[in-house]
Amino acid sequence: MYFMGIDIGSLSCDAVIIDREGELLASSVVPTGARNQEAIARVSSEVFAASGLAQDDITSVVSTGYGRDRVHNRSGAVTEITCHARGIQALLPGTRLLVDIGGQDSKAIFMDQKGRVIDFAMNDKCAAGTGRFLEAMARALQVDIDELARLDRGSTGNLMLSSMCTVFAESEVVSLIAEGKEVCEIVAGLNRAIASRTAALVKRVAPDHNQDMPVAMSGGVARNHGVVRALSATLTAPVNVPDKPDIVGALGAALIARERALQTA
Amino acid sequence: MMFQYFDTLVTGIENVLENDPSQKSHRKLYALEVARLGRRLYSGTDRLAWCGVVAPFDLLAAMGVTSCFVEFIGAMLAATGASSEFLKEAEDAGFAPDTCAYHRAVLGAGRKGMMPEPDFFIATSAPCTGGIGVMENMAAMFKKDLFVLNIPQNDDPASVAYLADQMRSLADFVSRHTGQPLSMNRLAEAVTYSNRAAAVMSEVYRLAEHVPSPVCAKDLRNFGIVAALLLGTPQAVTVAEAFRDAFAARIANNTPGVPGEKIRLLWIQNRVQFKNNLEDLLENEFHACIVADELNDVTWDPIDPADPFPGMAKRAISIPLNGPVERRVKHLADMARRYKIHGAINPCHFGCRQGTGARGLVALGLKQVNVPVLNLEVDCVDTRNYAPGQMHTRIAAFIEMLENRGNPWG
Repeated sequence: MYFMGIDIGSLSCDAVIIDREGELLASSVVPTGARNQEAIARVSSEVFAASGLAQDDITSVVSTGYGRDRVHNRSGAVTEITCHARGIQALLPGTRLLVDIGGQDSKAIFMDQKGRVIDFAMNDKCAAGTGRFLEAMARALQVDIDELARLDRGSTGNLMLSSMCTVFAESEVVSLIAEGKEVCEIVAGLNRAIASRTAALVKRVAPDHNQDMPVAMSGGVARNHGVVRALSATLTAPVNVPDKPDIVGALGAALIARERALQTA
Repeated sequence: MMFQYFDTLVTGIENVLENDPSQKSHRKLYALEVARLGRRLYSGTDRLAWCGVVAPFDLLAAMGVTSCFVEFIGAMLAATGASSEFLKEAEDAGFAPDTCAYHRAVLGAGRKGMMPEPDFFIATSAPCTGGIGVMENMAAMFKKDLFVLNIPQNDDPASVAYLADQMRSLADFVSRHTGQPLSMNRLAEAVTYSNRAAAVMSEVYRLAEHVPSPVCAKDLRNFGIVAALLLGTPQAVTVAEAFRDAFAARIANNTPGVPGEKIRLLWIQNRVQFKNNLEDLLENEFHACIVADELNDVTWDPIDPADPFPGMAKRAISIPLNGPVERRVKHLADMARRYKIHGAINPCHFGCRQGTGARGLVALGLKQVNVPVLNLEVDCVDTRNYAPGQMHTRIAAFIEMLENRGNPWG
């Protein structure tokens, strides 16, 4: 028995296949682009190729992410909140607090010891502090998004951005460049701004959060070490990132597919 | 245009009920009376008062005045999909887009001639002072007199006496404008209808507490707050009885409002007024039912027909949205226990300083009785601020969370 999870986000479309024991066999991440059906087909094709399996080998598929209802062969659709909580428990057991920053939303999820969601908070109709925000800032700085993750090195940490609105922040970055500010200072300022906004979500779900409570981070932005460092500094707590932070939601979806199938069996 | 709309609605429902009595239902009866009220509001012949939410509508009915709180018009424009034009009109006139859309819609409607000219205005300082600002604007626009009822925060004898005196002054104000003195006999009769309606509404709510509940999400949507407009009339009693009988029959027939009810929800403050699929999503995908609304409750005692002003004052003071937030939270926690609620949804209407300002304390208070709260960022009237996908995800995640918690009531 094999199970598949697909997470259709605004920026990336992720798929994983696990076996009956819940072991990860293969995963794939592709850009979602403008046509999510094509992304679903492509990521499915890639993950089948990587696992050596075919559609007929899959017992059930659970989809998640904002495009979860667009997966036609799904046996169920589950929100990304539940899937991320389930996925992180498999990758980093014992996690109570998870921060997921994706393409267009960010969320903080508080879980019990068994990985069940107790509370969650999401950003509100605004891309500030998300992957889209970082993309816009990278564009303003004329650097690659992956490069942005390294550019805060050597900063003094004094520069503060006054706005988290993606549009205003982009203008501010352009102004800071014109003023001759060092790129490392600007990037560090952006990271702190994202961390501050994300920490507010954490405080909403875990008001008593302290340094003894490690935080896990998932989603594509978790690959940005600068943001992770800034979040850790803001929360004064360790921030743990799994090896493949982008597939946490898809893995959770696959694990839920497995649990449901085994319960039914 | 609005008169025609309501007239067509009234005629349509009356025809259905006359030609096919099997179509008669509590909800149709309620819609008919609300449509009749709308028709009277726009008839151009009735004496008319635009009011705040907790105005004594039975007093006004006894004095021959057709009355309505202005937010009703904002909600109605949203329900008919017509609010955007009027919201834009208000914004173009300089009203900030982050103020309450109920009020902006009304202001826009007033500016575009969609609000019939009243004889006078009666503002109430509860549930929000934003409403007073709207009334002041409207009174200036129509060049009509405005009476402001200052609703005290506390339910104590001095506060009740203070508001009762204001209501007596209100009766004098209305008499001066209508030329008709208040008949205490007519007021006693009106208050008797109010008492009967309130007693039956209490029965309705007690039936809704049943597990599984006989109500579905649409049954009691806006019921308590709109039914207040019928107080003082026999129609209030008729409508309440129709709801009571329908729910009693469903319980007797073992027909729950939501088949296979799994999750019982408490809706805080007002529903989203424009067409949306949130209630369908809850019921069809998750077997989750809104069994209780914060404003669907009778929080006052029967009013003495021989001395009605203190009782009407106590009623206005008692509404959950008036007074210290501790009282509101206590009321919500009490509802959660009575209805065996699994989770609560707070729409946190944009621009509602009072509603959104209290959200943290409301969530904390309900958490103490083991009821999680989902705070939505939504404008209940302005569709331009509505993102269905985001709402869908938040609600679905909340229900998934409640499902995993199990039934907190055993």
